[in-house]
Amino acid sequence: MIPLSWYLIFAAILFCVGLYGVLVRKNAIAILMGIELMLNSININLIAFWRYRSPDGIAGQAFAIIVFAVAAAEVAVGLALIISIYRRRSSVVAEDMNMLKW
Amino acid sequence: MGFVTNNILALILFTPILVAWILLFLPKEQIKLLRWVTLIGSLVPFLLSLYVWLSFNSGTPGFQFETQRIWYGVVGSSFHLGVDGLSLTMVLLTTLLTPIVILASFNITERVKPYMILFMLLETGMLGVFLSLDLLLFFVFWEVGLVPMYFLINQWGSEKGERELWGGKKVSARTYASFKFMIYTMAGSLGLLLAIQMIGVAFQTYDLTQLFTTFPVATQLANIPFKLPLETVKAIAFWAFVIAFAIKVPVWPFHTWLPDAHTEAPTGGSMILAGVLLKLGAYGFLRLVLPLYPQEAHRYAGALAFLAVMGIIFGALAAYGQDDFKRLVAYSSVNHMGFVVLGIAAAAYAAGTDNAILALNGAVLQMFNHGLSAAGMFFLVGVIYERAHTRNLNDFGGLFPLIPVYGGILIFTSMASLGLPGLNGFVSEFLVVRGSWPVFTLFTALSMIGLFFTGAYILKGIKKVLHGPTNEHWVGHITEINVREIVVITPLIVLMLVIGIWPAWILGVINSAMQLLFKG
Amino acid sequence: MSTESITWLLPLPPLLAFFLIVLFTNRSKALSHSLAVGAALLSWLGSMIVFIRAISTEHLGLNPFESVINWLPTGNTWLQIGVRVDPLTAATLFFVAWTVLMIFIYSIGYHNYGQPKGEHDKAGLQPHGATIEDEHGHKHVVPSIEPMYSRFFAFIGLFAFGMYTLVVSNNLLTLFVGWEIMGLCSYLLIGFWYQKPTARAAMIKAFLTTRVGDVFMLLGIAYLYTSVGSLSYTDIFKPETLQKLGSTPAVGGFLGLSAAALIGILLFIGTVGKSAQWPLHVWLPDAMEGPTPVSAMIHAATMVSAGVYMVIRMYPLLKVGSEAGHLSLVMSVMAVIGTFTAIFAATIAVAQNDIKRVLAYSTISQLGYMIAALGIGAYVAVVFHLITHAFFKALLFLGSGSVIHGVEHGALHTGEKVDPQNMFNMGGLRKKMPITFWTFLIGGFALSGFPIITAGFWSKDEILAEAFGTGHWVVFTVLSIAAFLTAFYTMRQITLTFLGKPRTESAQHAQETHWTMTLPLVILAVFAVTIGWAGISKSFPVIGGILPNFVHDFIGSTLLEAPEILTFNIWPLVASLVAALGGLSLGWLVYRNQKEGAEDPLKLTLGPIYTVLKNKYYFDELYNTVFVRPAYWVADTFTNQILDRGIIDGILHFIARIASNVGHVFRNYFDKPVVNGFGDFVGEGIKKIGRSIKVIQTGKVQQYLLMALILAFGAMFYFIFTFIQH
Repeated sequence: MIPLSWYLIFAAILFCVGLYGVLVRKNAIAILMGIELMLNSININLIAFWRYRSPDGIAGQAFAIIVFAVAAAEVAVGLALIISIYRRRSSVVAEDMNMLKW
Repeated sequence: MGFVTNNILALILFTPILVAWILLFLPKEQIKLLRWVTLIGSLVPFLLSLYVWLSFNSGTPGFQFETQRIWYGVVGSSFHLGVDGLSLTMVLLTTLLTPIVILASFNITERVKPYMILFMLLETGMLGVFLSLDLLLFFVFWEVGLVPMYFLINQWGSEKGERELWGGKKVSARTYASFKFMIYTMAGSLGLLLAIQMIGVAFQTYDLTQLFTTFPVATQLANIPFKLPLETVKAIAFWAFVIAFAIKVPVWPFHTWLPDAHTEAPTGGSMILAGVLLKLGAYGFLRLVLPLYPQEAHRYAGALAFLAVMGIIFGALAAYGQDDFKRLVAYSSVNHMGFVVLGIAAAAYAAGTDNAILALNGAVLQMFNHGLSAAGMFFLVGVIYERAHTRNLNDFGGLFPLIPVYGGILIFTSMASLGLPGLNGFVSEFLVVRGSWPVFTLFTALSMIGLFFTGAYILKGIKKVLHGPTNEHWVGHITEINVREIVVITPLIVLMLVIGIWPAWILGVINSAMQLLFKG
Repeated sequence: MSTESITWLLPLPPLLAFFLIVLFTNRSKALSHSLAVGAALLSWLGSMIVFIRAISTEHLGLNPFESVINWLPTGNTWLQIGVRVDPLTAATLFFVAWTVLMIFIYSIGYHNYGQPKGEHDKAGLQPHGATIEDEHGHKHVVPSIEPMYSRFFAFIGLFAFGMYTLVVSNNLLTLFVGWEIMGLCSYLLIGFWYQKPTARAAMIKAFLTTRVGDVFMLLGIAYLYTSVGSLSYTDIFKPETLQKLGSTPAVGGFLGLSAAALIGILLFIGTVGKSAQWPLHVWLPDAMEGPTPVSAMIHAATMVSAGVYMVIRMYPLLKVGSEAGHLSLVMSVMAVIGTFTAIFAATIAVAQNDIKRVLAYSTISQLGYMIAALGIGAYVAVVFHLITHAFFKALLFLGSGSVIHGVEHGALHTGEKVDPQNMFNMGGLRKKMPITFWTFLIGGFALSGFPIITAGFWSKDEILAEAFGTGHWVVFTVLSIAAFLTAFYTMRQITLTFLGKPRTESAQHAQETHWTMTLPLVILAVFAVTIGWAGISKSFPVIGGILPNFVHDFIGSTLLEAPEILTFNIWPLVASLVAALGGLSLGWLVYRNQKEGAEDPLKLTLGPIYTVLKNKYYFDELYNTVFVRPAYWVADTFTNQILDRGIIDGILHFIARIASNVGHVFRNYFDKPVVNGFGDFVGEGIKKIGRSIKVIQTGKVQQYLLMALILAFGAMFYFIFTFIQH
């Protein structure tokens, strides 16, 4: 059986990949994708811990499903915002979206 | 009907508020509607109090038509209303004068709506003072009455004139007068509030019916600050009460707000100010000071009588020295209220005797009478001011041929104010003199100087306005008193005559009330 | 109707007439005077019924008609008021009713009822006359009707009400009510022509001078009420009450008087004011500014008589403390003031030229007579003189009014500008106005005490006899001299007015007046003669005892102890004969040849004394300097400017200024630096901090994320670190 640490390492790598994408990409959609990756790495952690630590309960699965829902909602809202911004400013570059600063 | 009779005092008290509330929703351009709604609305408390007067049983001790509701339970204060012969007389005076004053105020054309609303609030304030049987409630209404009066003077007062303050600073006369009135009265009531608190904290109740029996005989008071001796505390509280009421009466030398306020107030305001508001102070003496502080009142009665006599003399002298007709009438209030205070002082000194009862009968009747005659005089001054736009006596002269009806009414009302036997003022002044003669002989004798000058200033007013060669300037400008104004003055005149000829109907009620309250 | 009910109703008709005229009928002159005269007639009728019933009642003095009602509740008791008819009331009612009715009728003619309206007449001024055109086209100026005709009748109606109330009262309180109502009416009527500045001044002078007396009287009433517990005469005059009052010291031990004495003096000061005794006499001559019927009303029938009536009424109280040959203090005071006033006013009257002023001073003098007489205890003589004086003085005033009216008529006719009241502008009116002349002569002779036939003789003689008989020499001598002066100035008046030749055109064209004016004169003249016969002393030689001495028996029975009858003595009779006849003849001798425009012979004889007399001993000027001006100064300058505006308002403003300054200090040294400073500091500080850290808000979302990451890592490390430590 694959040990738990493997899953954790995999999740950490996936998280770092996502984080890297979020921090360095200029395209807002790419940033959104990075966030998705980070969320999914969390999901992996949740499922792994559930499977190895408390397989009798359902808390881990429930958490994972909530995260799915959050991710889905986030994507829906995020994409809608990005499209809206794109329509007004013809750009999806995150650095251009600085109207809210003082 | 059961509801009405059970809560009749509360109804009397709050009908004006209701009228004010209705007025709030009426359009402000409909001046006629506003006036008539107020007039009819103000007749309701009058009819109700007339009902109370007729069904009042003057032989029964204690208060009647009592209403008690929980109001401020934590500190032991309740919404407690009730009347006896003393307060009922005053309630009747208030509810009678208010419609008259409203009718007299029909000449107001600017901002009629707030004016009428303020008047209705004022009526509630005044009635509340007379009706409450709870010290805290008394104080609340005492202060409530101030606010509308302030605005009435400040906003609708006479537009001319200014008053110089220190350092060459000048303010308009009505601002000065309203401010002086407000601040002076407030300053007086601070001590009153403290004294009321002291009593309330010590007895855990503000209910007068209980305090009347417990407070005067209390040998120790709870929660006295600084461990002061009881005597001192009571003396201080006594003076706090006295000063608050003395300012309102006003007792000399606290009177200087009065000529200013009366002179600057609009006619209706002066009428109600002289007619009812001054009575609040005297009522305070009778309702609170004498029953709560019999020993202190006895001890300091001499001082009070002295001030009363000074008020009588200097009020009359000051009135005699005026050239402003309204100020002359205003000072006459100081003079006349001096007799009320003299009666009260005599009664305080000789508590329980027949002299005291006589003096008190005189004092209370004088309150009622002064309400009639002063209101009438202010109204008549207002009538002539409205036509001539001046109050300076030297500008008039020989107006009698131009305005004979007005002249006749003025002479009649002046004579009532002068205390001509056969009219109301004489009965009360005679009773006061009779009651205080054996108690304060010298002061009573000195007060005759004031009575003499009463004649002097009244005749001066008549002389300068009506008599002498006609001032041709006014021919065609000063018109005869109109029907509305005659309707205003008629009830006052009728009452002056009726009380002068047959005072027993009202004095009977006052007399039994005084006996029940103050007889040994 | 019972006598009590009639008595209750007596004062009412004039009062009703007053209200009806004022409220309803004032536009119709005819209706107004009908109402007033009708009311006076009703009251007269009632008074006569009461009078007749009174004199036909046995022992009325002991059992007077009396009826009371409760009026004022005073504690457990009531102050009762009521009416009472005893001999004194009945006698007073008799003369009041007659004189009042006569004056009412006279007023119709006096105010020119039936004459046209004047073109220039104004309310508040005397009518100036109207121009009419007769059938031949000639223009005449005739007297015009009074513009305020109805008002006059309303006022005298109220006046009559006051007097009737006063007379029928059984207590001092309603007496005082009537007393003061008359004061008001005298005020209104003296100033009836209120546009005249002199009238306006006179009305105020009259009211205020009498008010000086009134306030003292009010104190007296209050004191009496306090001591007795009642104000009704019956209670006051109980012997035990009087004795108690006499033995109690006055309140506060005032001058060591007894209570009775102090009350008596206080009440007497009321009379001094009302009956114009020195030193409060100054108002009465000025009161001549009123129309003549008013002068008659005030000075004969009602007001001044009321003052004397009151002291007569209170006589038992005033007498307390006097024993045989020793007067009580109040009575001595009365005797002194009365005697002094009698001679004092008589001397002034000698030097007056105004026909009404002479009568005014003679009124003061005669009232002084009465007061002096009461002071020496001549109770019956005083009442007698009061009655006769009321009749002949009313007659004289109405007669003088008739004279003035006649001369005015002449002045209007000729267009001459003369003072129609100055006697030196008259003369020879005997032929022009015969009825007025004869009645005036009777009145004048009665006033002078012309022997045997006139009423004045009997009453005056009785006073002198009492003064002589009780051994008051000074009073007797002074009053005799005063009687002489009285006769002198009366004859001076008659001679100047009626005898000789007319000295002006106006007098030449004077005309007898309307019957409404002459009829009252005739009726009063009858009384001025006959009323004296009711009081001829039984001990008078020859004619004494032919007629019963009704006055003495009837009036005397008012008192509990009827006064004794003096034995006849020849000296007072001689004195009064000499005074009357001597004065009359001297007056005639001096003035019978008075020429037009000539000086008063008296002026040549008396020199500077004449000037002093003419100016009434300068009392007006004295009072003006000593009382009126200082009073005005005290009122205006002292009370108003110094006391109220200066001191009291000054203190208030000072407090307000301190409050205002303290407020400024708080504002400048606490509020602004500390409270405001702290608030500003917090606000500014936060602003500064924000400004300095705003650089981190770049708007770049990835930078934010990075910051969040760094912070998250920091937090993580912190937690891990602390976790490891435990």
